[in-house]
Amino acid sequence: MFDVIVIGQGLTGMLTAIWLKKKGKSVAIVHQGTGKIIQSTGLMDILPGMDGTIEDLIKEYQIERWNDVFIKESIESFNMLMRDLGYPYRGDVGKPVEVITGSGHIKLTGLFPETIVPFPKKGNIAIVSFKEITDFQSEYVKGNLQKRRPELVIYSVNVSLGKNSNRTMNQLDAARLLEKSDVRKYVIAQIKKYFDKKVIDKLDLVVFPSVLGVMEWKTVLNEFEMEIGSPITEAVGMPPNATAIRLNEFLKKEMIRQGIRLYSDTTVISAKVEKRRIEKINIVNNKFNNLKAKNYVLATGEVLGGGLEDASLSNLFVVGATNDSKVTRYGITGGIYSILSSYEAVSMISGAYSHGNTIKGGDN
Amino acid sequence: MLKLIESPFDRCLKCNACVVSCPVSNYSLDFGGPKHLGPELKRLIENQDLLDDPRVELCAICGNCDISCPEQVHVTDLIVQAKAIHSELSGTKFRDKLLSNPELIGKITSNLAPITNIAMKAKPIRKAIEKVMGIHSERQFPKYEFNNFNRRYKKKTANSERKVAYFVGCYATYNAPEIGDAFVEVMAYNNIEVAKPDQHCCGIPMLANGQFEQAKKNAKFNVQSLLKYVSEGYDIVATCSSCTLALKKEYVSVLGIDGAEELAKHVYDSSEYLRMLDEEGVLNKNLSPLNDNAGYYAPCHMKAQGIGNPAMDILELIPGYEIKDLAAGCCGQCGTFGFKEENFTLSLDIGKSMHDAVEELQPEYTVTECGMCKNQINQMTDQVVKHPIEVLAESYKKSK
Repeated sequence: MFDVIVIGQGLTGMLTAIWLKKKGKSVAIVHQGTGKIIQSTGLMDILPGMDGTIEDLIKEYQIERWNDVFIKESIESFNMLMRDLGYPYRGDVGKPVEVITGSGHIKLTGLFPETIVPFPKKGNIAIVSFKEITDFQSEYVKGNLQKRRPELVIYSVNVSLGKNSNRTMNQLDAARLLEKSDVRKYVIAQIKKYFDKKVIDKLDLVVFPSVLGVMEWKTVLNEFEMEIGSPITEAVGMPPNATAIRLNEFLKKEMIRQGIRLYSDTTVISAKVEKRRIEKINIVNNKFNNLKAKNYVLATGEVLGGGLEDASLSNLFVVGATNDSKVTRYGITGGIYSILSSYEAVSMISGAYSHGNTIKGGDN
Repeated sequence: MLKLIESPFDRCLKCNACVVSCPVSNYSLDFGGPKHLGPELKRLIENQDLLDDPRVELCAICGNCDISCPEQVHVTDLIVQAKAIHSELSGTKFRDKLLSNPELIGKITSNLAPITNIAMKAKPIRKAIEKVMGIHSERQFPKYEFNNFNRRYKKKTANSERKVAYFVGCYATYNAPEIGDAFVEVMAYNNIEVAKPDQHCCGIPMLANGQFEQAKKNAKFNVQSLLKYVSEGYDIVATCSSCTLALKKEYVSVLGIDGAEELAKHVYDSSEYLRMLDEEGVLNKNLSPLNDNAGYYAPCHMKAQGIGNPAMDILELIPGYEIKDLAAGCCGQCGTFGFKEENFTLSLDIGKSMHDAVEELQPEYTVTECGMCKNQINQMTDQVVKHPIEVLAESYKKSK
């Protein structure tokens, strides 16, 4: 018997589970595979797929109950968690900033990790791509960026990681290689050589794909900044983005360290409901089994998730994208919405926070 | 000719979740990766000639791809099939045939135990073995016991109300019979008698080395032998996480053995079984305090069973006992994988997260179910490693 069972292991599921555990609840996560966090950018956008402000978010999703105090508290809680885990985020959801994407477009985001730098309006920019990583091409990125920002001076450079591979390499492969100091030295030497040849001495930003290390991101970032002598940013694009993998890894590690029980590769097939309460859920992983909890959190996302979305169940909290079909205009949620929605469920389950109009469910 | 059973691969969306979660892909660019060698290779050869891709040799069948897949594709099953095809078309090295048969090694080596244990620590001998056999000279070997579990325990039937048929597995039989002893003791404290059915190696090392037919033979024998016990009301319990996974999953999904599905319903990991007794309110909780501070290392094949963390659930019942999950990835030993000369460095690279987690938490000792994970923890750290059932037996014994 757990206090809470969270179904789904994406951003929403993990945040909800970790915060509940920190409030002293016994928590289990039941999940079929990883969440869509693996395919995400790791950036906390306000309106994914669109440029918008927090006011637009509230209007769009009709969540007026999320007042300024609640938003501030949720975001602070997220920032504190990520700082403790060693992957701090910065930014202000009241003032979204422009960042560059892996296709050379500019988009707005709310919170972003330290490997990301807001994109300047003018100045000298260099874009670095790797011969081995086909998902990110500096010439292509430059072309798109130049159209949008004609006033920028843009250099594009293509360097090699110097490692042979028996498979098509992705950004994560590059991120892991760049955690090795010999690979970094090899890459930095090529970049410096290019800059020397072009007589570039002052750059406002050097753009990389999302490859600046995984758990060792700080070492990789510091060395690149120091050696190149300019601010560095990752441009998030085709998954897997190292920005997202770090977030996933840090959250997952925290979840397990805190003693949250993981029921992996497990599907929820049905639930026993009595008097509008879920008594237990029936699960299967080769063998059939059942699990009991006082409260249940459904964090399965919407596009490929879903499940027990019955609003009339009193001990079921439906969070994240599963909450309401209105939140998936482009089939994407995540980001700020996930943080706020998770925090709200945690507040309600732990009885620590109440703000009138409630989300679905509500038994303490 | 190989007869392979259908395993759904068309649900694969190429989302890369498996690639990101694969410990071998994360540390080696030589490996083709689970997505390419699993569902994509299967798509390619469906209704065509078999294709031999030697890169499958690097798959350690840890199962992290299965755990990560949001679409329920059994990636490991597909790669195990690709390994079988590779062996069929290209043959198998003598070393790999030998490594895939821990039961045979166990029988011979435990008979000569005092000598073999000393020999496996002698550098010149290890250098020679590396040269002739391709087993890395710096790889630690588990010790072998002359007084193995087969010599110690011969009981074939149980007469208690609740009865357990114990699937011992090669490791507890030949290398660590103290695990078997501890299991029998813990069951006795719960008034459960333990029978040891006739059994052979579960077959996981065979699947890892492309020895499909041999694995099938063993699986058939085990299913028949264990089902007899099931029909007489026994529960099947195992102390090794890989054996448990084989009995619960691989016999059904990869090998398609008749009766395997029925058997799987009655198979439990030892801690999972005790947790069930606790839930039913019949677990003997006369446990005396242990003021230890331990780390728990979850084997990949434990995670793959989707049963939460039964070892910690049970050990947390011991008064004063502190245990924390190391939350580390794959250890890198991966059964036979880490013994092979060409994988040695890669194996240690993969094990780094386990090593770092031990350094970070500094437990007094580490608890894990898997004998091979223990081997790697011993190789890479100075930790004493215990099976959860040994810790529990200690607590029961003190309370007598």
